Amino acid sequence: MTQNDFIYIPGKREEKRIPSRVLEEIVHQQIRSGQRNLEIEAFGQHGIGGRLWDAGTDPVNIRIIGHSGQRAGSLGTANTFIEIMGPASDDLGWLNAGAQIVVHGHASNGVMNGAAQGRVFVGGSIGARGMTMTKHNPRFDPPELWVLGTAGDYFGEFMAGGIAVVCGYGSQPEDRVLGYRPLVGMVGGRVFVRGSAAGFSEKDAKQVALSDDDWQWLKTRLSTFLEKTGRPDLLAAFSMRADWILLTAKSPHEKADSPDRSDMRYFRKQIWDRELGPGGLIGDLQEIPPGTIPVIAKGDLRRYVPVWEQGKYISPCQAACPTGIPVQDRWTMVRTDNVDEAIAMGLSHTPFPATVCGYLCPSPCMASCTRHQQGMVPVNVRDLGRAGETVPPPQPEQKTDRKMAVIGAGPGGLSAAWHLTLKGHTVTVFDTGAAIGGKISSVIPGSRIPRKTLETELKRIRELVSDIRLNQQIDAKEFARIREEYDFIIVAAGARKPKTLPVPGIEKACFANDFLSDAKAGKAEPGRQVVIIGAGNVGCDVATEAHRLGARDITLIDVQKPAAFGREREDAEKCGAVFQWPVFTREITDQGVVLQNGDLLPAETVVVAIGDMPDLDFLGTFLGVENGFVTVDRFNRTTDPKVFAIGDVVAPGLITDAIGAGKRTALVIDQIASGKDIQGVLPLPVVDKSRIHLAYYDPGKIADGMAACADECASCGNCRDCGICVAICPEGAIFRVEMKKDGFEYRVDPEKCIGCGFCKGACPCGIWDMMPNTPV
Amino acid sequence: MSSNRSLEPSALSTNDLPWQVKYSNDRCTLCGQCTAVCPVKAIELAVFRKRRIKTSIQPRADQVSQYDIFYGIQQKTDVAYACIGCAMCTLVCPNDAIHPQKNPGLDRMKFHINQQGVPRRRGGRRNAEGSILDRIKFTRISMLTDPALDAGRHEFEMRTLLGRVLSPRENMKRLREKGWIPPVREIYPLIIGGMSFGALSPTMWEGLQMGVTYLNEEMGMPVRMCTGEGGCPPRLLRSRFLKYVILQIASGYFGWDEIIHAIPHMKEDPCAIEIKYGQGAKPGDGGLLMWHKVNKLIAAIRGVPAGVSLPSPPTHQTQYSIEESVAKMILSMSMAWGFRVPVYPKISASSTSLAVLNNLTRNDYASGLAIDGEDGGTGAAYTVSMDHMGHPIASCIRDNYLNLIKIGKQNEIPLFAGGGIGKNGNLAANAAALIMLGASGVQIGKYVMQAAAGCVGTEEDRCNVCNVGICPKGITSQDPRLYRRLDPEDVARRVVDLFVSFDTELKKIVAPLGRSTSLPIGMSDALGIDDFSAAQRLSIKYVV
Repeated sequence: MTQNDFIYIPGKREEKRIPSRVLEEIVHQQIRSGQRNLEIEAFGQHGIGGRLWDAGTDPVNIRIIGHSGQRAGSLGTANTFIEIMGPASDDLGWLNAGAQIVVHGHASNGVMNGAAQGRVFVGGSIGARGMTMTKHNPRFDPPELWVLGTAGDYFGEFMAGGIAVVCGYGSQPEDRVLGYRPLVGMVGGRVFVRGSAAGFSEKDAKQVALSDDDWQWLKTRLSTFLEKTGRPDLLAAFSMRADWILLTAKSPHEKADSPDRSDMRYFRKQIWDRELGPGGLIGDLQEIPPGTIPVIAKGDLRRYVPVWEQGKYISPCQAACPTGIPVQDRWTMVRTDNVDEAIAMGLSHTPFPATVCGYLCPSPCMASCTRHQQGMVPVNVRDLGRAGETVPPPQPEQKTDRKMAVIGAGPGGLSAAWHLTLKGHTVTVFDTGAAIGGKISSVIPGSRIPRKTLETELKRIRELVSDIRLNQQIDAKEFARIREEYDFIIVAAGARKPKTLPVPGIEKACFANDFLSDAKAGKAEPGRQVVIIGAGNVGCDVATEAHRLGARDITLIDVQKPAAFGREREDAEKCGAVFQWPVFTREITDQGVVLQNGDLLPAETVVVAIGDMPDLDFLGTFLGVENGFVTVDRFNRTTDPKVFAIGDVVAPGLITDAIGAGKRTALVIDQIASGKDIQGVLPLPVVDKSRIHLAYYDPGKIADGMAACADECASCGNCRDCGICVAICPEGAIFRVEMKKDGFEYRVDPEKCIGCGFCKGACPCGIWDMMPNTPV
Repeated sequence: MSSNRSLEPSALSTNDLPWQVKYSNDRCTLCGQCTAVCPVKAIELAVFRKRRIKTSIQPRADQVSQYDIFYGIQQKTDVAYACIGCAMCTLVCPNDAIHPQKNPGLDRMKFHINQQGVPRRRGGRRNAEGSILDRIKFTRISMLTDPALDAGRHEFEMRTLLGRVLSPRENMKRLREKGWIPPVREIYPLIIGGMSFGALSPTMWEGLQMGVTYLNEEMGMPVRMCTGEGGCPPRLLRSRFLKYVILQIASGYFGWDEIIHAIPHMKEDPCAIEIKYGQGAKPGDGGLLMWHKVNKLIAAIRGVPAGVSLPSPPTHQTQYSIEESVAKMILSMSMAWGFRVPVYPKISASSTSLAVLNNLTRNDYASGLAIDGEDGGTGAAYTVSMDHMGHPIASCIRDNYLNLIKIGKQNEIPLFAGGGIGKNGNLAANAAALIMLGASGVQIGKYVMQAAAGCVGTEEDRCNVCNVGICPKGITSQDPRLYRRLDPEDVARRVVDLFVSFDTELKKIVAPLGRSTSLPIGMSDALGIDDFSAAQRLSIKYVV
């Protein structure tokens, strides 16, 4: 190409710079008029050399002298060849779509920004953000940028295609040929660098080895580049393959595989633990094994562990029984075909299984039965009690040398004597009366207890307790003597002194106990109209007996709501007895009872049944007394360590209360006598009823017969040995062990158990519980 | 439930409970995982009776009425065992048979959770969903006005200053006269606020510290974490990592003897000392570490007997006025490190906080003021304190900042905001809003527990049992059976994730403001809100 081929276009007219718009018009006019070689003397006009599509496919040569402006060659097309004879300004080859541009000097910022085709050869260095946002359209060759010197900062940001070659001419080995932070966001294309690309975005790009093909390509094009930029002399120096590196974009896959952070495990080991010491932050204070534990853990790592709590609690029925008879144990015996043992066992708790459990007791055991929780009928214990009538007394333990005295042969005293004897002690019972049995024998109506049953059981007591001394006169002196002679004394003298009323005519009334014992002896004649003052259970007994003896108009009066309950009250009501309350007695006359309001309740017999008080005169001043009753602690100890007191001398109560107190006190004395801790006689805690699962039982069923009763007993706190726990355990951790000596046990394999508590949730009897595991 | 039960006052049905366990017997495989994992034993295996009736209208046909039983999972209704909604059951259930559901009606729990006369105490949060911070928008987005920056491409220096910055004139004077110049730290504006070793499990605490250290040493982010009041493990005190730690002193003074013993052996000064006077979650109520969590390790670090509850009184015992508290405490703490370490108080947001601030501005040794708003979290507090006491952080920080402007000291004493930042997950937006309202940085606690360790607490009173040490994720438990569920490494990894992503989001917010090298502290012209009254109160734009 010769000088003459070029049309000169000045960028100034009359010393005035032509605006970019006008220069653009001139250039286009020249092209349209057939000119293909233009030399433009630029004065910073914008975008010279771009958009020359009017020339069709003809090559167009643009030579720029002077100050080429911003965006020279922008939107350039493939027919355009631009040669800039000096340095280039910003955004050289911007959005280049095919133009070839040669710069004989440096180019400033933004070279090839957004270019997709074409080639730019820079014979110097370039400014910041060269080769950014470049693309490669597969229909065309990729764009190329060749730089003789170095690139400025942020080179190749968001580069998506194209090839850049930066030769690093004139740089020192320590210089960064690609400037600061190159290739951020690079997703495509290739960058050849002769020198260091240190600090490039390793998140986006990677350095790869030049292949032979790469090297061949580079070498061939290098000579063209150096020719065009007028430095062929550098070819030999640039042809050292080892001086070149190639950078390419990482694929999304590679980016995902190589996170830009170092591994935390490595950091912990190499930096954290190294500075702090083995075990890290608190390795000097506590060892925490590395790694995590599973959420569902076994063995020592369980938060809760199941415990088979057989024998740890008593059932509600046993707890409610004043005598403490383990009712549920008896049903277990029935279920395991030990009916005889179940019946006989009653005698180790009470000398009156038939009389009291079978007839007289209001059965608090049944009242407290867990089955009530779901409105189910409790298991009937009366049959078990009655069956005890004919059982022979148990064998006492080995004889001791201790002598015990019991004062009073009522139910409490006999119970105490019975149990002391069973423990092997020598017992003497003293009573002022002519018969044993106390109120059971003397005042309880025959309608409530068959005479034969009572006599059989009293006879059995006499067989076991041989030394019962009746008709004794016991005064203070005699009591003092007994106290000296015996190791321990139990006062069970009962309450025999009737309470009375401070009203006129009281002498016309009789007291309930006198009436009842007369009635029992067939000596009472109450007449037709009877008024009973005091509407408790004793009053009801009086009513029933009076009715038996011919009374037909029976009224029980009380100052408060009648305390009578149960069988006694039902029987009285059956006799037509009428309860009136609150009414207050003014006086008793021959006509009957005159009330405070003046009404007369006509009566042939008036009976006072407002309770009895103990007669404590014989105790002298030995014992502490409060409100007419002997003071005792919960072990029935009086203020005298040798003397215990039970039954109505302590507080009014049921027959079964007295029997229970007799038993407990006998055990306390036995503990003391044998030097053991009396805390041992305290009953175990009662099982929580919510632990018992009643869903296993048919709610409509009322058990009839011993076997059926035994089946329906919920066996609270007492393992039925059903094996449901073994079946329900999701981990198969529970197994049954047959004990050599005594029964069986269910156990848990801690290495299998996950502590889910299913055993507890399913256990019919409430044996399993979940306990917090031992702290680690 | 017993059909025959008596109705004592606190007899509740599942309908009265805040969380109801929804259970499908059809899907259940009775594997026991749910009952094994339940932290509060709210569910148990139960035996159920099922009546089967077979009838016929034919005369004399066999009419059958029988009971079968079946097993299933049942929710307990005792107040003490009420489901807390943590959904650990759902997490472990292999068959998707069980999940807790928030009572869609109104539960009655609040009326009964005071058995034995003890008002409810819990850990966690205020359980109020709303957040004024979430409603603040960044309405100044530079298109061609400011140099618009690209958060993904430009480099940012997201840093803030912790320490007393002297006025240029004063600074020059002291330089010339070789006078004392207050220590200032350049730190990352997102700080992990004070959660004690004790309130948090050892694995959680170590994980947080490890993450913070990683951010500093591997990522070049100067993130700081406050110890909370519970001392500091001796090893950390003697390591170079101490410089990433803000030591807290509070009214219980737990663990400070260990710190004093360690001072001569410290390789580095701590970042700063925070004097805690109040906590946003329970202003006026002291700290409390319940006995459940005071095991041998915690006892050793705090210097107390094991197994006792540790209250920090609501006030410092020997300080009777602002002047005295501030002067005495700041001076003592400054002296301990030869006036090389910034010392600042942390108070709960309150209508009286301006008085504290004014006092601090007159005290050369005061390095800043941290204010904790009502939405802050706590390891243990009375519900009444948590739910009904406290001051929102936004207006409090704003008032304080505007007051600093009034006295011309807005660039001299930094304010740090805490309490409910990111409570609904919008961490960067909330933090940026507070910064533009005037905070130099923000402190977070609950957010870290949720993001870094999977805390399941929510604003609808879910879980919240941090106080009793049964955290099902092992975050706030001192029981190895629970805290070993958590690996410090995993926590550290998540801390890094959280900070790195926060950093990107913060840049996304500040880049359009043209800020890349200094935080837009107090740049409230960038803020708008669609509530007129709130806009007035905060002195920002009302935008609709």
